Amino acid sequence: MRIVHYVNQFFAGIGGEDAAGAGPELRDGALGPGRRLAALLGDEHEIVATAVCGDDHAAAHPEFAAELVAAARERGAEMVVAGPAFTSGRYGLACARIAAAAGEGGLPALAAMHPDNPGLGEATGACVVESGATSRRMRDSLDRLAAATRKVAAGEELSAQDGRIGPVARTNRLAEKSAAERAVALVLTRLGGDREASEIPLPDFDSVTPAAPVADPAEAVFALVTEGGFVPAGNPDRLESARASKWVRYSLDGLDSAESGKFESVHGGFSTQWANADPNRILPLDVARELEREGAIGGLHGEFLATTGNGTTVADARRFGMEWAAELRQQNIQAAILTAT
Amino acid sequence: MEATAGAGLTRIVHEVRELDLGERTSYCAGRLTVGEERARELLRDPALSEVRLACAAPGDSVRIVGVLDAIQPCSKGPGGGGVFPGLLGPAMPVGRGETHVLRGAAVLAAGYLPRAQEAIIDMSGPAAPLSPLGATHNLVVEFAPAEGAAWEDVEAALRRGLVKVAAHLAEAALDAEPDAVEELSEPEPGIANGKPRVGVVLNLQTQGKFKDVFVYGRSLSGGLPTVIAPGELDDGAVVSGQYGHPALKNPTYLQQTHPVVAALRARSDELDLAALVLCPEPVDQANKELVSAHAARLCAELKLDAAIVTKEGGGNADADVSLKLDRLEEEGITAVGILAEMAGRDGTGPPLVVPPTKATALVSTGNYDERMTLPAVEHALGRERIALLDQASTDEVELPVAAIYCAQSTLGWGRLTCAETG
Repeated sequence: MRIVHYVNQFFAGIGGEDAAGAGPELRDGALGPGRRLAALLGDEHEIVATAVCGDDHAAAHPEFAAELVAAARERGAEMVVAGPAFTSGRYGLACARIAAAAGEGGLPALAAMHPDNPGLGEATGACVVESGATSRRMRDSLDRLAAATRKVAAGEELSAQDGRIGPVARTNRLAEKSAAERAVALVLTRLGGDREASEIPLPDFDSVTPAAPVADPAEAVFALVTEGGFVPAGNPDRLESARASKWVRYSLDGLDSAESGKFESVHGGFSTQWANADPNRILPLDVARELEREGAIGGLHGEFLATTGNGTTVADARRFGMEWAAELRQQNIQAAILTAT
Repeated sequence: MEATAGAGLTRIVHEVRELDLGERTSYCAGRLTVGEERARELLRDPALSEVRLACAAPGDSVRIVGVLDAIQPCSKGPGGGGVFPGLLGPAMPVGRGETHVLRGAAVLAAGYLPRAQEAIIDMSGPAAPLSPLGATHNLVVEFAPAEGAAWEDVEAALRRGLVKVAAHLAEAALDAEPDAVEELSEPEPGIANGKPRVGVVLNLQTQGKFKDVFVYGRSLSGGLPTVIAPGELDDGAVVSGQYGHPALKNPTYLQQTHPVVAALRARSDELDLAALVLCPEPVDQANKELVSAHAARLCAELKLDAAIVTKEGGGNADADVSLKLDRLEEEGITAVGILAEMAGRDGTGPPLVVPPTKATALVSTGNYDERMTLPAVEHALGRERIALLDQASTDEVELPVAAIYCAQSTLGWGRLTCAETG
């Protein structure tokens, strides 16, 4: 089978974080870990090209995946394999997106990452197999990926025994009894000594290590970001007031303050009366400009990023966070002020 | 066997199997007729320029869009005194004596209010069995605000008007032969009969205008947890003014007929319904923690063996449940939470926003984000268009379960749940 293998800028040998903004491209043959993967796959399969993209670019521009899958098809790809991404979040997100895009386009696809990789949630139905946590585990991670690749290429289903990981879909259905009756039954079960019975598995959230404090704010460029449903008056891009599926960005050029009538909050989770009377209460543009003039901060980013944090799923919120971080790093922003509502 | 002489409430039940509009309000053998003029008079308010009344019955090809609150008609006697205290009757403790209820009927308002997300009830089709109000004979109140009226005044007018109409309708059945008479005993403190003492911790949403719940006519916002008797719920001591989160909404109707209270009463041979603890849902973490710790101590004082925790609202209200579950377990009280899942369209995301860390007994009312298709209907009430979709209200529509009125209420009426596919 003709395979296109995806790796990030680091494993392709382009560079580290300095090259994380590199755009998508296809390079001939196998690169980096792809060479060992090719050797493990033997003569039956060939890595015809390596698809590459910088991690920041991939996180900030989800369309990179469709572009690379189209390019891979032109190169005659019959299958796409991505990673292993270990626990690297942006790389995992990119691998998941590539595998999902290939799958949507009808190509067999497979990604590899650690089960704790926050990108795993983006795989939406695509196959993902487990890798180690770091590249020190490259060897056995590639062994597992190669074995899984052969199975997928042969049209076989992967199971947990093959190292398949990924979110399990939970779907709605009608129970025999009402939730109230089930709650009372659960009380009696628990009082009877069963300490495990439950209908909802507890999610296992990753904890985020805060970045180091900004060394010298007077030298740093700050961005204003918010989940306060903050948009120009009239909400031109129809940001949702609840269950947001996207985030939006607007220019702050030439603005000294977020004036009433020019901006508004469409957040559905609180009374927006006071926010709309003075939109600076949600996006503190007035004081940020003051700090900029005083030289207390090095500068203010020319646009703000916004979404609505109201009934938003954790998976979407995590994706917005990764995309914002990548976007701001690409723009050389050192600090962000996130106003929460 | 001798009857227990403890305090309690006698619920006199009149079933409603037919509903129509007419000249005079009357109830006879399951048929409720609403005197249109009188109902309009009760709803009259300077904040409302127009009020329209319509009936919607189970099985009708009708969609009600923008549903606000819903009320079960009830009365303790002529003049409305004693029910909905603090709003209709005087703000004095209720929950004892006799209360007539019209079971199978509801009075509800539908239309636009600020911050009210569009709640939908289909009277037939796949969404009908998901809503408690899809199975009742509904008197639907549509309205237009008076020119220049503040929305707060419109909301207050509707809240007052609905309870007046609800009490008025039940008065028509005061002399009718009941379909059932139910004796509901009051919890007795300190009783030791060997049965586990189980309480209910009810989180009431307190998030400002249009997202508030009223107890004896006042918001619980800013207060600490308080204990009430189940009969006080039956008599309408808790009235909703919360119009967000359609699927997770706890309308007055569900407070009056509280499903968890009913389920506990139904198993009184195995357990004692020992206490109800009402809690505000503060908007900040520090107060969420204070209220949760305080509620758990109250439950310990009440010598509860177990408690069921309910909530109203989306993401941040998960914290109000989770913190209480953890604090209860720390007090040695077995805690069970009822929660909706927010796992994304495909159901693969983490189901809870703020999970408990110590307590793990959870009942699911289904995934809020899963979508369903509602077929086209002949008539729509409430609003002509579904603004969320920019479609006519009568169209075939695809919506998340989150939009179906009370479909996932953690008061536990529904049978919706979630499980792994496969």
